[in-house]
Amino acid sequence: MKKFILTKLVFVICIVLVITSCDDQILNKKPLDQISEDDLWNDPALVETYVNDIYRGVGHGFFAVNVSSGVDETIITHGWNDAPVKQSNLTPDDLGLFGNGVVVPFDHFHWEDLYSNIRSANVFLEEIEESPVEQSLKDRLTGEVHFLRAYFYHNLVKLHGGVPIVKQAYGLDDDFLVERDSFEDCINFIVEDLDKAASLLPTVIEGDKAHASKGAALALKSRILTYAASDLYAQNPGGMAVTGYTGGDQMARWRRAKDAAKAVMDLGYSLYMGNPAPGDSTAKNYGDLFLQKDHQEIIFARYFLQNQSYPWNQADMGLFHGPNGWHNWGGDTPLGQMVDAYEMEDGTKFSWQEYRNGDPIYGESPYQNRDPRFYASIFYNGSEWRDRPADMIEQDPEGIVETAYFEMEGQSDLRPGLDTRDGPIEDWNGTYTGYYMRKFLDPNVDHQFYRQEVPWIFIRYAEILLNYAEASIELGEEGDARNALNMIRQRAGMPDIPSGESGQALVERYQNERRIELAYENHRYFDVRRWMIAPDVYENGEGVRIIGRLNNDGSYDYEYNIIEIDQRQWNDNAYFLPIPRYEMERNENLVQNPGYN
Amino acid sequence: MRPLGTISKLCVSTLLLFFMAGIGQNSASGQSTDSPLYTSMDNHSVLDVQGIISLSDALSEIENDYDVSFLYNSKLLEGKLVESSILKSDSLAYMLSELLIRKGLSYRKETDRTYVIMPKPEPEEQEAVLETVSGTVTDSQSGDILPGVNVVVSGTTTGTSTDGEGSYVLNVPSLQDTLIFSFVGFESQTVPIEGRTQVDVELTPETFQGSELIVVGYQTQQKATSTGSISTVQGDQIEKAPVINAENSLVGRLPGLVAMNNTGQPGESGSTLRIRGSNTLGDNSPLVVIDGVTNRTGGLSRLNPNDIESITVLKDASAAIYGSQAANGVILVTTKKGREGKPRVSISYNQGYTQPTRVPEMADAATYAQMINEIDMYRGREPRYTDEDIQKYRSGTNPWTHPNTDWFDAAFKDLSKQSKINASVSGGSETITYYLSLGTASENGYFQNSGFQYDQYNFRSNIEGQINDNLNISLNLSGRRELQEAPIRGVGPTFRALMRGKPTLPAYWPNGQPGPDIEYGDNPVVTGTQATGYNRDKRDVLQSNIKVEFDVPFVEGLELESNVSYDKDYQFNKLWETPWYLYTWDYQTYDSESDPVLTRAKRGLNSPQLTQDASDNYQATLNLIGRYQKDFGDHTINLLAGVERQTFRDNFFSAYREQYLSGSIDQLFAGSEDQKDNNGSAFEGARQNYFGRVNYNYKEKYLVEFVGRYDGSYIFPEGQRYGFFPGISVGWRLSEEPFWQENVPFLEGFKIRASWGQTGNDRIEPFQYLTTYGFGEGYIFNQDELVKSVQQERIPNSSVTWEVANQFDFGIDAEMLDGRLVIEADYFNYLRTDILWWRNASIPTTAGFSLPRENIGEVVNTGVDGRITFSDQIGDVSFDISGNAGYAYNKIKYWDEAPGVPEYQQSTGNPMNTELYYQADGVYNDQAEIDNNPSWPGARPGDIKFVDVNGDGSINGLDRVRINKNNMPRLTAGLSLDAAYKNFDFSALLQGATGAVRYVFTESGEIGNFLQTYADDRWTPDNPDSEHPRTYNRTDEYWTSNQNTYFLRSADYLRLKSVEIGYNLPASLGDRIGLQNMRVYVSGYNLFTIDKLKVFDPEASSSSGQYYPQKRVFNAGISLTF
Repeated sequence: MKKFILTKLVFVICIVLVITSCDDQILNKKPLDQISEDDLWNDPALVETYVNDIYRGVGHGFFAVNVSSGVDETIITHGWNDAPVKQSNLTPDDLGLFGNGVVVPFDHFHWEDLYSNIRSANVFLEEIEESPVEQSLKDRLTGEVHFLRAYFYHNLVKLHGGVPIVKQAYGLDDDFLVERDSFEDCINFIVEDLDKAASLLPTVIEGDKAHASKGAALALKSRILTYAASDLYAQNPGGMAVTGYTGGDQMARWRRAKDAAKAVMDLGYSLYMGNPAPGDSTAKNYGDLFLQKDHQEIIFARYFLQNQSYPWNQADMGLFHGPNGWHNWGGDTPLGQMVDAYEMEDGTKFSWQEYRNGDPIYGESPYQNRDPRFYASIFYNGSEWRDRPADMIEQDPEGIVETAYFEMEGQSDLRPGLDTRDGPIEDWNGTYTGYYMRKFLDPNVDHQFYRQEVPWIFIRYAEILLNYAEASIELGEEGDARNALNMIRQRAGMPDIPSGESGQALVERYQNERRIELAYENHRYFDVRRWMIAPDVYENGEGVRIIGRLNNDGSYDYEYNIIEIDQRQWNDNAYFLPIPRYEMERNENLVQNPGYN
Repeated sequence: MRPLGTISKLCVSTLLLFFMAGIGQNSASGQSTDSPLYTSMDNHSVLDVQGIISLSDALSEIENDYDVSFLYNSKLLEGKLVESSILKSDSLAYMLSELLIRKGLSYRKETDRTYVIMPKPEPEEQEAVLETVSGTVTDSQSGDILPGVNVVVSGTTTGTSTDGEGSYVLNVPSLQDTLIFSFVGFESQTVPIEGRTQVDVELTPETFQGSELIVVGYQTQQKATSTGSISTVQGDQIEKAPVINAENSLVGRLPGLVAMNNTGQPGESGSTLRIRGSNTLGDNSPLVVIDGVTNRTGGLSRLNPNDIESITVLKDASAAIYGSQAANGVILVTTKKGREGKPRVSISYNQGYTQPTRVPEMADAATYAQMINEIDMYRGREPRYTDEDIQKYRSGTNPWTHPNTDWFDAAFKDLSKQSKINASVSGGSETITYYLSLGTASENGYFQNSGFQYDQYNFRSNIEGQINDNLNISLNLSGRRELQEAPIRGVGPTFRALMRGKPTLPAYWPNGQPGPDIEYGDNPVVTGTQATGYNRDKRDVLQSNIKVEFDVPFVEGLELESNVSYDKDYQFNKLWETPWYLYTWDYQTYDSESDPVLTRAKRGLNSPQLTQDASDNYQATLNLIGRYQKDFGDHTINLLAGVERQTFRDNFFSAYREQYLSGSIDQLFAGSEDQKDNNGSAFEGARQNYFGRVNYNYKEKYLVEFVGRYDGSYIFPEGQRYGFFPGISVGWRLSEEPFWQENVPFLEGFKIRASWGQTGNDRIEPFQYLTTYGFGEGYIFNQDELVKSVQQERIPNSSVTWEVANQFDFGIDAEMLDGRLVIEADYFNYLRTDILWWRNASIPTTAGFSLPRENIGEVVNTGVDGRITFSDQIGDVSFDISGNAGYAYNKIKYWDEAPGVPEYQQSTGNPMNTELYYQADGVYNDQAEIDNNPSWPGARPGDIKFVDVNGDGSINGLDRVRINKNNMPRLTAGLSLDAAYKNFDFSALLQGATGAVRYVFTESGEIGNFLQTYADDRWTPDNPDSEHPRTYNRTDEYWTSNQNTYFLRSADYLRLKSVEIGYNLPASLGDRIGLQNMRVYVSGYNLFTIDKLKVFDPEASSSSGQYYPQKRVFNAGISLTF
């Protein structure tokens, strides 16, 4: 009978095991790495982390290919679907640089991502009402979120024109088939959000520029009103309410824009090294303004850390765009047209013809005696840069950019410079134009190994001065314009604009000044559109092929040949991006922009 | 089995420990016949057999052991007692003789497995004794005499049985009669007397193999009376393929199982497994159950193939017993067990040599240079290479300045090694059986001095003990260490660099130093090796389950079983990155000897850095199952009910430091104090379920089965957490019907069966019903302060619940030619409903949602599969040919589609995972052709012509058409041949697949080399009539940036998957050297392929060739059995 004791025991154990296993509570699992809705909105620290995340939607301008390669600033060496933009061949299926390609990472310019960020903002604005966090924090965060929402809409509107204004956080069962609001309503909505933000946020002249501030809100307002006042939206060639104004007074809009710029100017920001001392390198000042993490010119910025991990195509400007002879990729390289737009240091226009004619101002090379900003923005053949990497330091101990081809004694072949497309290092990453981008590149970082920590400045005071100048010109208040422009030129070490310069000449001077001062800063693409000069600037891209002719004394004389390296063209539909096909197919209420089907 | 008198003195655990100790000793000493285990078992008083048992008990033991049933009038056995020691015998013949014949009984074979016990026929009144026949019956294999064999005169009841010496004497009406010899465990034989008086007969043993009994989930069933669509492959078949990963040996073996081999990377070379194709928009992988436990770490791919007894695939609603995870079918793996008998020691050693099945043929330097010049020409730029350069590349006379590099050739060895060593010992007594094994496998990568390496060490101990009459306990323990190593740049960048490798750059300079990179320091002859540090993934896995089977006393046929399984795995990953060095030449500088001066420079990273992560995971499964079987005359009923719960939790931790001063210490402490980081997280889950099965058959002819499972999963919200998944299947064994036997006697074992059922799928991200916020990447404020950020994970869906698979299957099983030809065939129609998918195609993105999964999709999948096997023996040649095939075609019946999508672009109505392509229609031969046709803006001669599908006069996204094929084949088939001649054996497996397509587009142009095939016959101004496009520069051209049918190629193939030739040492020779068996063999895997793709392996998992190519293996092995 003993065996039954054992078997009964086993039986009982089994039953016990089963009974304990029939406990439904074991299925009540919770995610261990996520926060519940209640926890979030009741905890001030967590509410703030929610807002922190919305900031990520603002993007930045430090990509492996940038908007500058969609306009007459640079060309992307690697051909990452830049053709549709620069050749005006966009379709609703292929937005080129602004599409969802593998390489092109402009989330902050994607319709879908922007609306996703707008939803995050709307969720916050709905939830914060009931949240028991203290009023001062509530105000600050609310102000920031209004700013951020305005920022997202400002990106949408400058790309697409009028878009649907979504102010609520939809639930799954709501009616989502929204219509596009008019351009005018969008501008007003953005301004409304910015005014609200400005009323809630503190002014920050020195300090944390990554957080939205009153200055940031007013500065963005200045930008969007300057855009809105521009010819493109006044003339409205598309003729639709979503592509511009269908009535109203353009001059009143310019007045509003000028007032908005003035409001920022009254806050206390100033240009970095705005009053250079004699002997200062104004080129260095201008270059440093982008490398410093904080100064009084920065109004709104994004910061980066060397150790943070980012996608392979973000936040590593030195690697992306530095010369290939330093094991960098030579990505966005300045077009000849961009380089030629830098004035001579005396304020006259640069001209190859006059250089060749031997005009004394030019000195020995076309790269001498130029606008100091040239030296901070462009690598040309002969620029000094940091030490070469170990495998080329013997060939070039001084670190001089070589984009020329050199005659060699006793050889018929030319020696390709270390930074050409025939150089010994990563030749296929060499420039087509003969130039490399220099602005934003930290000379103290070995870019082949390390990421730099240069901040991306969304809005800086110089832009506000330029906006002010532009509105002043349009309003016929040219003295104000010249004063504002001269502040910028003074910092750059350039002579004042001749006091008699006026009318179209002043417009052109202003447009060139804005082009040079804000080079590669994601302005030019939009400026040439709103000024309606795009048809003229989308011309074939140029570069320079340089041959160093060997002199008897071992020195070189350089021969500069202008070459055409890139096909570009303009169609008027490219004033606006199309609404992506995927969105058109989902929402029958949307109207497409002109020229797209 | 016999009661074991005093065994209950010991508690279960002590006994188990004792057994384990005994076995450990045994395996350690490696003894055979007189091992300590054996001796101790026999001599130990505890195990001494003393009982006398009733004959009926004895018979039921035999029923259990041999899976037969005896039918008898219980009165016949009343009061008959036998010595239980009889049952100890190895010989069934002896047992039957002792139990029945000696007790004055006889028996007759009724069906395959049913015997009717009768009184021994009384000697007939012999009115006229006509003739007498006598003879001896022996076992054809062992030569042993067979007592108790029934001998009956055909067509009469006249008969006798053989005596203790295997002899019989029988009076027959005529010497022209026919005798029928039958015996349990042997095949019956019909022998015409033909006038002889001495008729000696050899009977052939029937094989009692797994093919007769099949595993069906929580129990085994007889194949003959099962009603599900179930296919099985035996372990010995799996061992035929010389691969490390068991998944790769399944391809072509089972009808309806699609196995696509994705990669040849050591330690990764698994396959994508699909049962009957794809059924859902989400996860289509089948559920893998190993020894009754679901979802075990490593699954099938890490299991030692030598430990596998059999693999069974449940393809239809019979899988419903596994409920919520069974919708994609179930793969049941059973590991080997010991068998009663002397210890059997097996040792095998396999040495394999591997190489890629195919490396792409890339353009040579001269061709590449020419093509780069063409790119320059098309861009209006100055050509980079002079004619003289190209000539130098072609002639190879200037290896310093004009090399011609074949990168694959430079980076790869001709052959890489893999090896497997296995040792096992198995055996047992009546009370305990054991299977113990040890194994190692090692696999090296294709690269010279390869940084890719995999090593595995595993053990398994499967022990089963019959504690007493009613209690059986088994313990399966297995453990392994998996060591996978890869160079720090990993497969992606390394193979990217190989594919891009420019033939005009040197892999090595002529003096043997490694040449420059394309970028990132990626010169694959260095980055594919150990020169860059290592990425070492170490996993220790320990899996255990204890099974207790309990025959409930006093309730005949009731059995309880409980399983407790606890699996634990630890993972420790170390990524140690160190700078490496490459040599650059400026093509100018020479030393005094006129040799080029190379400069060595650090690449990749500036200083070493270390990332370490560790995870600690467990899974516990607990179940209790009750089984009841009862025969009521012709009615047999089988019941099963069970409850099961499973919980699991994973914990993860990692740490990081950089800026190590030197590469000599690869430990965390030695890194920078400032540049460091750490991280960690965890997740957990649980499932709980109740299940049952009812089997009923009438005379084993009419079969019906219900299965059901009530399954709860942590994935879903309370209220929707449980789902009920029923299945019903019916079968009719027509061949058991008299009318069938009369009319179509050649179709034996003919069964038709049909099933319908529902299974579930819960494989989605958990917690879709909660509004939760997850941590994002953070944001940097105040210049350098990284702060946390959280984002809403998704809009919650509070009604999220099971996806349901509705499965209908109709099948037949048949045998012909005395079982030599076996056929199984099935038609299936599966409808997956409530598929958990996102409504993100129709909801405008202006809503800004991050959508949850909702139960919205419907997919229908239909097809057929089957297998036909023919085995025979002709002279000395015995062989077995088996062909199987499966066809599956799925179609999206409903899913979320944007309302504005034109019909020819819709997914609905097409198979899942198809894409839109522009329709390529040759190339533009000249400008006139461009001008006269709708064409892409900026198109030029040599560009691919896209068809204006919607006829609107322009080419845009609306001209894309959905192609209804993807990279999964629709029809897969395998043909295997196994043959033996004398001491030789041979087996081969041919395998093929059709219906899949692959996009073949490489990163070419200035970024990297071209495929030779795209270089050949390309359009050039000098070759304007070509049908193939001009030279392109990566995705610069519209026809390279927009997916189109020119690059879409058929991936149909037929390949010799595996082949093996073996030789068995003659037994006589083996005996002399103390071996039971010795076999030497050579085998191969993926030896040749016929396909249309040509460029890559047809199973390639990358359209750009940037993946670790599949393996070809040449292998030689030896196995010894003592």
